[in-house]
Amino acid sequence: MRMRTCVSSMAAGSSMEWLKSVKGVILDMCGVLYDSGEGGGQAIHGSIEAVKRLMDSGLIVRFCTNETQNTREKFVQKLRAMGFDISVSHVFSPAPALVRILRERRLRPHLLVHDDLMPEFDDVDTSSPNCVVIGDAADKFSYQNLNEAFRVLIGLEKPLLFSLGQGRYYKETDGLKLDVGVFMKALEYACDVQAEVVGKPSADFFQTVLNDMSLQPHEAVMIGDDLLNDVGGAQRCGMKGIQVRTGKYRPSDEKHPSVRADGYVDDLAAATDAILTNH
Amino acid sequence: MSRRTLKAVLIDLSGTLHIEDAVVPGAQEALARLRQSPVTVKFVTNTTKECKRTLFERLRRLNFDLQEREIFTSLTAARNLLEQRAVRPLLLVEDSALEDFTGLETSDPNAVVIGLAPEHFNYQTLNKAFRLILDGAPLIAIHKARYYKRKDGLALGPGPFVTGLEYATDTKATVVGKPEKAFFLEALRDLNCSPEETVMIGDDARDDVGGAQNAGMLGILVKTGKYRPGDEGKINPPPHLTCDSFPEAVNHILEHLLGSK
Repeated sequence: MRMRTCVSSMAAGSSMEWLKSVKGVILDMCGVLYDSGEGGGQAIHGSIEAVKRLMDSGLIVRFCTNETQNTREKFVQKLRAMGFDISVSHVFSPAPALVRILRERRLRPHLLVHDDLMPEFDDVDTSSPNCVVIGDAADKFSYQNLNEAFRVLIGLEKPLLFSLGQGRYYKETDGLKLDVGVFMKALEYACDVQAEVVGKPSADFFQTVLNDMSLQPHEAVMIGDDLLNDVGGAQRCGMKGIQVRTGKYRPSDEKHPSVRADGYVDDLAAATDAILTNH
Repeated sequence: MSRRTLKAVLIDLSGTLHIEDAVVPGAQEALARLRQSPVTVKFVTNTTKECKRTLFERLRRLNFDLQEREIFTSLTAARNLLEQRAVRPLLLVEDSALEDFTGLETSDPNAVVIGLAPEHFNYQTLNKAFRLILDGAPLIAIHKARYYKRKDGLALGPGPFVTGLEYATDTKATVVGKPEKAFFLEALRDLNCSPEETVMIGDDARDDVGGAQNAGMLGILVKTGKYRPGDEGKINPPPHLTCDSFPEAVNHILEHLLGSK
């Protein structure tokens, strides 16, 4: 039975009793619900059912992703086609959050983002850019495109770089691949600037989700595959963080010098068992 | 401050002995005079694109008296390190630089070498390098320049990509070029002398003089090439000497640094 898997994976003496006070769950998507890759990717075993169980349980459920290879709408469409019963209004991603920021601060971006994300910026003025925005552009991270972004950035009187997330890598069906954070660091180093990160693990981003849930941090738990950006980021906001062993997880994540998850479970199904056992 | 007798002089190339295809006035004769003294001479450079043979041929065309084996580049430093560690490199370097790595096994790589190679800095190749490093392959950087000047404007150097891979893998690259201490010490390895017995002459305050002095050598900054007024104030400690050009540097060495007569 799944219970056995849960218990054996926790630190000695810890039974995740704190789950009793949890009223809401925030789920990372890539690496928790599904693995991306050829043909759009595939659902992780047990995750579709797990999401349904969480939503039926009375807990408040939201989805928090740094996915920027697609608009939110297209992305949710893809997941619904896989069998996940989720709606756009419950999904939080960096691009809409950034568009709000650009508008508030009257900024015009030079965009280095995935082609499929461009529609998120349809109403944004991109002429005479006064900042640079990078997202998970995958194959668009060519030397030429990076150089172009670099030239805009270094030519600005006040170089301003926004990064949609700061992930180091993610898992696709054919292996690990470099994420936006790597190219953010590259541009930071080249121009001697520090990027503003929109999306996980920014506290503002998590707070937006919590506000939508009308919950205090201690009443919510984040479940993710990225120890630093999902779990660590959530913990820094006062939430609990559970690390799954799917997606980009690597065994060394359980021996990290500074981030210790509040629970390590095999997958979302196991996490769900643990949560519902305590409710 | 007492110093041991001077035994070696390291000389930067571009900006110090010549600027593109123009010789620094008096440089050839100054080199000849230096060679009449008991010091050993070595030519050191941070090139990532040009193999030793290309550099040698250019210097011969400019009538400098030197041998190819007296040239030590950051590519040589990288090659030496690969041999020392007995690893097989994935070489992200320009084709023109590959010649300096001939003889090394490159199939089934277990090390990554990054130089200035725009055509290799694409997502696919970077992913390949990333996965090797994640599996334990050491990351060796020829140098970490942030950017350089091209005819069509500024262009990203290898530094940003090295930094990105360090971040991705949570590892630190071994940087072999100037201003790393390792570069200067490696230049001396076959000369049988210590840094305290060596002088470095160059036009880059930070990379040539600062780096050399940090390794225990004396540094002479020449006001040719990329030198800009005030550069001597940008390093600490300041250069042992700042002078107009290579011939003046040689004069100083011959008059003041050759030890007791």
